[in-house]
Amino acid sequence: MLRFLVRRLAYAIVLLLIASVAIFYGLRVAPGDVTSAIVSVTGTQVLIDDVKEQLGLDKPLATQYFIFIKNVVTGDPGSSLVSGAKITDLIGDAGIKTLKLGVFGLILVYALAIPLGLMAAWWRNKPFDQGVRFLAVLGMGIPNFFLAVLLIQLFAVKLKWLPVAGPGGFKHTLLPAVVLAMESMAVNMRLMRSSTLEELSKDYIRTQRAKGLPGRRILFVHAFRNALVPVVALAGVTIPVVLGYTLIVEVIFRYEGLGFQLVQAITKRDYALAQTLALLFTAIVVFSNFLADAAHQLIDPRIRDRARAA
Amino acid sequence: MSATEPVVDVVAVLDRAPAAEGRLRDALALLRANKVALLGLFLTAIFVLTGLAGAVILLTPGLHHLWEAQDLAIALQPPSGDHLLGTDQYGRDLLWRGIGGVGIAFLIGVGVTFLVLLIGLTLGSIAGYFGRKTDMAITGLIDLAWGFPLLLVAVVIAGMIGKGLKDVIIAVSVILWAGFARIVRAQVKTLAEREFVEAARMLGVPEWRILLRHMVPNVMGSVLVMASYYVAYTVITEAGFSFINLGAQPPTPSLGAMVAEGRNYWSVSVWPAIVPGTAIALIVLGLNSLGDGLRDIFDPRLRRW
Repeated sequence: MLRFLVRRLAYAIVLLLIASVAIFYGLRVAPGDVTSAIVSVTGTQVLIDDVKEQLGLDKPLATQYFIFIKNVVTGDPGSSLVSGAKITDLIGDAGIKTLKLGVFGLILVYALAIPLGLMAAWWRNKPFDQGVRFLAVLGMGIPNFFLAVLLIQLFAVKLKWLPVAGPGGFKHTLLPAVVLAMESMAVNMRLMRSSTLEELSKDYIRTQRAKGLPGRRILFVHAFRNALVPVVALAGVTIPVVLGYTLIVEVIFRYEGLGFQLVQAITKRDYALAQTLALLFTAIVVFSNFLADAAHQLIDPRIRDRARAA
Repeated sequence: MSATEPVVDVVAVLDRAPAAEGRLRDALALLRANKVALLGLFLTAIFVLTGLAGAVILLTPGLHHLWEAQDLAIALQPPSGDHLLGTDQYGRDLLWRGIGGVGIAFLIGVGVTFLVLLIGLTLGSIAGYFGRKTDMAITGLIDLAWGFPLLLVAVVIAGMIGKGLKDVIIAVSVILWAGFARIVRAQVKTLAEREFVEAARMLGVPEWRILLRHMVPNVMGSVLVMASYYVAYTVITEAGFSFINLGAQPPTPSLGAMVAEGRNYWSVSVWPAIVPGTAIALIVLGLNSLGDGLRDIFDPRLRRW
């Protein structure tokens, strides 16, 4: 187990390094640069060079890369090239908002997907199951931005129950979280349903039935635990997907979290901010994949034993 | 009697593709019994036909007036005899713009999926069949690509090359090939250990021929299933990107951009947002249902559910 974790961690670090090079060089080859956003069109070349020197953009690319990595590792990635705000402050501020939104979204995903999937399997082909399956089809079919438009029109514009957009408390987070969660909820619900059905058809369940164990106990204790394994395994995909969707959802709801800031930074060619945020997103994704793998190992003894044997 | 002279040409017999017509007939029978798959097939057929029509009006300059012609006098009208689905804020016909948008979705969805399918199939089967160092190298690449959220990659690429459809195409290709390659590699790996492959190898069938005639046809089922999901995924991604204004730029009639523009006029007319939004939902619904149906057909273990 330990050997597996160490190997997996080393792999995660290599992945991050490769990503950092790709992000850094990728954003530098982009046409146009930030000086055009800072210096007005009438500014002289001398002024432009001056600004470039101040920002360290006159140094060779490789040097700039190492400065970037050094700054990120020491925890001071500098300031936004456009607004001048300290990037660490920006990340702290936006990070908390995205964390709130993301955690809320993930709670919605699992709090709905697991019980609904489980019960749908139990009441297979009954109206409840058909309802769940319909919800799954809807959740996977309607693109999240269209769902956002519809929900905003219904709950914010027409019924006036919730605000249209903007950051804020629970009321501001509810709609974005629902939109964020919908697709992954549908996917996980379907998976939970089919994996419960698979478990219920196995021999050990039949044995328990024959022993006279009550149906509730069979479902909630025995089938449930085994049916959860694929859902946990999928968490490594679910978390990055939910995180990736914050990019779109935060822009729609003008919810000023990390995703909103990243899209803004890219549009304004604010390299310093964009590369730090992109790297941060990548780090979260790589780390959550690592956690999902570790969790998968913990709850599935078959994999655990295989890892021990290797 | 010389031992080198085989009575039957075993190589030729082994090399003949399995009864393709029989399998096709079975698949069609299963399809007919599967209502979800039929619905998916029906919606997908409409998507393909509309997409082809859309591609024609997008690529023929002489037909651009259909989706480009503005007439402010008839802006934001509800459906009528002249404009079956109404008009947008510039008085452009929503039906024709919708068809153009489906054309974009079709061209990008099918084009990109075909590309990543080729790359994924090639690399996946090479990795699975040859194993060892080739496998390690390709698996490393797969893990690298598969770990990233597509939208993040697309945003960064939009930062590199500027907004437009190109960044969506590149981002989707960079990520999705790994999905195909993973599945194909795993299947080829199991297949490579089966007796019929060993037999073919002993009889001296060249490696590339084993790969092409015995491996690839056997994984085509899962590849088809994945392909229908991936076209849907690409369509959603392109629309989402165009929606936040990092994808297709006006006046290109991308469905996502149309929803984004249309929502501003919701209080006057809901049609400019509803038409493209519903179109995307139906396309994705159709492709997903088709994928589910195909999976039931090609993966009999799952058929019971």
